Amino acid sequence: MSTDPVARLRVMAAGLGAALYAEELIALPYEQVWAVASDLAGELPHLVPLLREFRLEPGDTERGTAVAVGPLGTRDAFEVRLSPGWCLMQSGLIVGGMAAVREGDGTRFAVLGATRPSALRPVQRMYAPLLGRRRGRAFLRTVEQRARLRAN
Amino acid sequence: MADAWDGPAEDGTDSALWETTAALVRAAQQGDALAMDDLLTQVTPYVTRLCRPIAPLDTADAVQESLMAVFKALRGLRDPRAFYGWVRTLTVREAVRVARRTAVERPAEPDELVRLGGLRTDGDTELSADVRDVLSRLPVHYRAVLVLRELEGLDERSAARLLGVAPGTVKSRLHRARSLFRRSWTEPTRQGERHEH
Repeated sequence: MSTDPVARLRVMAAGLGAALYAEELIALPYEQVWAVASDLAGELPHLVPLLREFRLEPGDTERGTAVAVGPLGTRDAFEVRLSPGWCLMQSGLIVGGMAAVREGDGTRFAVLGATRPSALRPVQRMYAPLLGRRRGRAFLRTVEQRARLRAN
Repeated sequence: MADAWDGPAEDGTDSALWETTAALVRAAQQGDALAMDDLLTQVTPYVTRLCRPIAPLDTADAVQESLMAVFKALRGLRDPRAFYGWVRTLTVREAVRVARRTAVERPAEPDELVRLGGLRTDGDTELSADVRDVLSRLPVHYRAVLVLRELEGLDERSAARLLGVAPGTVKSRLHRARSLFRRSWTEPTRQGERHEH
């Protein structure tokens, strides 16, 4: 990857016209922050409202698949790309992404959320609470909190 | 297989790459983030290759601004097979803009210009640090002309259209560089001296 992952996610956000994109400098070491972000099954349900479960299928961890289970038991199949500092998840309805890079003693962390253009309006409404600027900030704050918890 | 930066050759030898790229472009235009991710991987070396000589002191910024411009506008690209030419247009514009933002331009010395003979390196996709150093001392538009004509092999008319100048301007800038080059070719380049200044 020739550009840093956060810069790359910024380009993806521009390309997707993402409704949610936020980035922030988190005053914790990269390893500690990325340990939270990359633990998709363990941490995503804490980070994403209304996500009950994110079940990764066994197999390739860099290019895998997962099933997201919503509050009413609704299921959405995701393709997942995961590598150090980079995570991209896509279903037929929605795209999610996270990126991290060392910055000084801290970590620059970014999150992206977008609906697929083919997604129908009711679906977009369903996902609306998950998107937007405030939601992005909240996501970043939760990542930081979860990362602090891990250190203890 | 050709490096991604080269872009597909005009003679069709890279038609497989053309097709792969076009398919990724179409999928990315429809909001397929994984295709967009792959396209980004494929096009970044090419964009970097264009930006480095035009914005040698701000390459990372120029690459980022160019990629932002390309992906923001991607949905508007009508013919996915024209992707590389379109990327080149946007990238050169962005790279010139970024370079102008920070560049303190001063004219190049003739003995520096002579060394631009190494701009097109045989089989080597990277410019030498020495050539980059010389380039960084040239006016931004001069760099852009050299990149388009010498590295990208565009004709005068295409280079002029892309830069928004008259073909005669491209011709005269290039002519000046080449005549300086020829005049100085027989003289030994005093590489050590230049660095001592």
